[in-house]
Amino acid sequence: MSLFWIVIRQLAEIEAMAMSKKVITREEWEKKLNDVKIRKEDMNKLVMNFLVTEGYVDAAEKFRMESGTEPDIDLATITDRMAVKKAVQCGNVEDAIEKVNDLNPEILDTNPQLFFHLQQQRLIELIRNGKVEEALEFAQEELAPRGEENQSFLEELERTVALLAFEDVSNCPVGDLLDISQRLKTASEVNAAILTSQSHEKDPKLPSLLKMLLWAQNQLDEKAAYPRINDLATATLEDPAI
Amino acid sequence: MPTTTASAVCTTVGNNILLRLTSGERDVKLKALRELKNQIIGNRTKKLSFLKLGAVPAVAGILSDAVSAVDVADNDENDRIVKDIIVQSAAVLGSFACGFEAGVRAVLDAGADILIQRGCLVEEMPLLKSYMEVVDAGARSLKMIYQSKMAPKYDFLQEENMEFLLSLLNNESENVSGLGASIISHSCKTSLEQKLLFDAGVLKRLTSLLGGSLIQRDASLESIATIFKNNPEVVSQFVGPDTGRTLSCIIEIVKDRFARTRLLASLCLIVIRNASPCYLQDVGIKTKLINNLLELLDDPGRVGDEASFAFSSLIAEKEDMQKLAFEVNGVDKLYNHLQKGSLHPRRFEGILLALADMCSKLECCRSRCLSLQVLKLVVDALAHDSSDVRSAACMCLRSVSRSIKNLSAGSFMNETIVIPLVRLLDDTSTAVQVAALGAISNIVVDFTTRRSTFIRLGGVKLLVQLSKSMDSTIRLNALRALRNLIFLAEDKCKEEIFMELTASLLASLICDPEPSVQEQALALVRNLVDGRINSVEYIFAEDGIILDAVGRQLRIASKAEIEIQGMYVLGNVATGKESHKEAVMDQLLLRAENKAQSCIIKFLQSNDSRLRTAAVWAVLNLTCSSSPGSSGRLVKLHDAGIVSHVKNMVNDPCLDVKLRVKTALEQFNSFDDSLASTSCLQFLTVRAVGELSHVVDPSSKIPCDSISNSCYVYVTDFCVIYSHVANSINSQCL
Repeated sequence: MSLFWIVIRQLAEIEAMAMSKKVITREEWEKKLNDVKIRKEDMNKLVMNFLVTEGYVDAAEKFRMESGTEPDIDLATITDRMAVKKAVQCGNVEDAIEKVNDLNPEILDTNPQLFFHLQQQRLIELIRNGKVEEALEFAQEELAPRGEENQSFLEELERTVALLAFEDVSNCPVGDLLDISQRLKTASEVNAAILTSQSHEKDPKLPSLLKMLLWAQNQLDEKAAYPRINDLATATLEDPAI
Repeated sequence: MPTTTASAVCTTVGNNILLRLTSGERDVKLKALRELKNQIIGNRTKKLSFLKLGAVPAVAGILSDAVSAVDVADNDENDRIVKDIIVQSAAVLGSFACGFEAGVRAVLDAGADILIQRGCLVEEMPLLKSYMEVVDAGARSLKMIYQSKMAPKYDFLQEENMEFLLSLLNNESENVSGLGASIISHSCKTSLEQKLLFDAGVLKRLTSLLGGSLIQRDASLESIATIFKNNPEVVSQFVGPDTGRTLSCIIEIVKDRFARTRLLASLCLIVIRNASPCYLQDVGIKTKLINNLLELLDDPGRVGDEASFAFSSLIAEKEDMQKLAFEVNGVDKLYNHLQKGSLHPRRFEGILLALADMCSKLECCRSRCLSLQVLKLVVDALAHDSSDVRSAACMCLRSVSRSIKNLSAGSFMNETIVIPLVRLLDDTSTAVQVAALGAISNIVVDFTTRRSTFIRLGGVKLLVQLSKSMDSTIRLNALRALRNLIFLAEDKCKEEIFMELTASLLASLICDPEPSVQEQALALVRNLVDGRINSVEYIFAEDGIILDAVGRQLRIASKAEIEIQGMYVLGNVATGKESHKEAVMDQLLLRAENKAQSCIIKFLQSNDSRLRTAAVWAVLNLTCSSSPGSSGRLVKLHDAGIVSHVKNMVNDPCLDVKLRVKTALEQFNSFDDSLASTSCLQFLTVRAVGELSHVVDPSSKIPCDSISNSCYVYVTDFCVIYSHVANSINSQCL
């Protein structure tokens, strides 16, 4: 009988060893981290790329002076782009359109979806300011033809015009269109289109790197227990729970 | 009515702007130009209405004035405004030309392209050259114009044009070099132009642009592909250290982050690969391209739509590529995309064509398609709104129905497939009709007795109607389908088909102005008279006009394919009764004008072994020992010099011919020995083989192999011919 229990216990131990993860202590981990060499130039480039893509002109200028890192875009064009973004964020869509066309007349001509969204935003702003007649006329003249050309545009147009049907616009089903987030969404779209037209990537690299970090940690979690970064803002290593 | 008010408003605003355009004051003009620009960009409807108000010539006029005004500009302020006017008017004209055909036409009519070129880009305006804005604006607008199909043809042959192009390419500005690349991509069409560009050394600059910005890279890839497309000569000159660099550069770009760039790079490599067999042949690159394109299908936009077409150009006609694609589950991946439903028509068409190419040669692909139930989706596509999709669905069906296994099992001859297909025979688009005929040609090759389904559903009526079409391609394909339909058909079937066709139609088709139609008509008759003795009677209908037509064609024809079919017709008729055999003799011994001998002698001496084979078959059947009149016929043939020609062929290089000649000689000798006739019969029984027929259609290359594949019937795309020997044995053993 006791032999039986010995065997069982041994089997359980073997199983536990197979299933248990490798444990890496903080010392080991930090040593491994220190062994990885990253060049300062690469770090600077990442920072500059972030500043430039997001449009922080002054910061980029300052950073350039302090670190000697060259931006991969002409900083002057950033100013133009930021002006457009700001105009949309403030609800001056017409102004934004003029600025985009000054920057590069091809963008709106070759981007029907973006153009539609800008026109849609104009309509939203007219509705927000209570100019119902003007809004209707605008919808008919400018947006209806776009809706005819494209089914998905038509659906979005219907959603937008639906705003006029409700008395209490902030609580209606399509009320999200009046949110600031809608403006920001459109602004982001314009920003991306301008960046693409300038052969620049529309997303900064830093968020992608952070995503990769989180993904790698998730993968490693299945195989080992190690000091993890849980708070991206502080990037502190937290000891594994045992 | 709201709409009228809207457009009335629009016209008022429009007129207002146009009025201000004519103002004498430059400020007012400039402001009006900017307003006009902002009105029309992105807005097709506005473009149209301003076009109608005559905006384009007005703006072109302003541009022209401004360009000449630059010379006489005397102060900075004036310069600035003039420059702005040029920029804005160029932008307006460019916008009118953007993706809007009526606009392009108007812009070209106003001579704006030349104006812009001269005004913004040419060396003679030193003042302007310092204004990058003007150059950029001009380059952008010209690029828009050159992207249209209606763009003026750029004359590469003119030296000054070539120089201008090179100066554009070498310019620092992205827009200007982009314009140069765009001109190449859209205007370079002939191989002479390709060679000129290659010789002028543009490739060097284009390669360096590959390392530039995204826009430069994309533009360069398109241009490189254009220069090499279908031009093996230019590709063959593409040797040396530069080549390796350019190729490896492009291969790297296949892995680029941006989907469009990956697609363009793949297309570039495919073009080079297709133009020359020596580049990009290793398995690694082949697999990379296939996987890349299959992956690009996932892109939801235009890139995904075009990826399937690129895939087709990669694998079409290439069995090795199709095999590789099959091994990486290409069929499954394509099917998954097909399943998604509510596809953009262009994407739908592309995927169907890709599947058609995958299944064009490999049975494994076809089996996979059928097991995945692709047919159901394909049949649905037969009724799609877009004619391109319908056409593609037919081609897919045609490829899949090359599967002998499934044809024999009758998988295709059912109402769900036949009804929509037959409906397409009446389609408004000729291309769809032709594609449907192609699919039908395969499907009617049925080894079961289900042809009646097709006939019952009105297929034959439509096919016969189409065989009378004005369009020779339709006549040709309709005849092909009928030819396959009638192959090995039962008597009742044949009768129904013949009733619909009529002897006079057949006779006239045999004498059709198009040689390829003649060939198919003769092949149809060959299948018609094949089989039991009663079938032979068809050729004698209406006083034998069909037989007369056949004989006539044989005497005047010059194309081997027609002669072959004609001889087989006669050979088949010669397996009939005595009267039939005598009728064939009459035809053979009839001499054409200016010809001293029977046409069959010419055939026996032909370089084409298929023709020699067909001719000897006819002689064999005419002198068959068991027929009473054979000895008489042998004498006549001998007198016409035909027998001695056959005797001379005893060592013919083609095995088929040699064996037939051997049999014929034994038959000739057997007239002295009655015993020999039975052994001859046995001899002939043993030699029963299936015969293949070549098809002129380049998509099927089936070798004629009758000896090693005894009794093996191989179905080709457009025709299957069964053995005559077996028939003659049957008729004699009755």
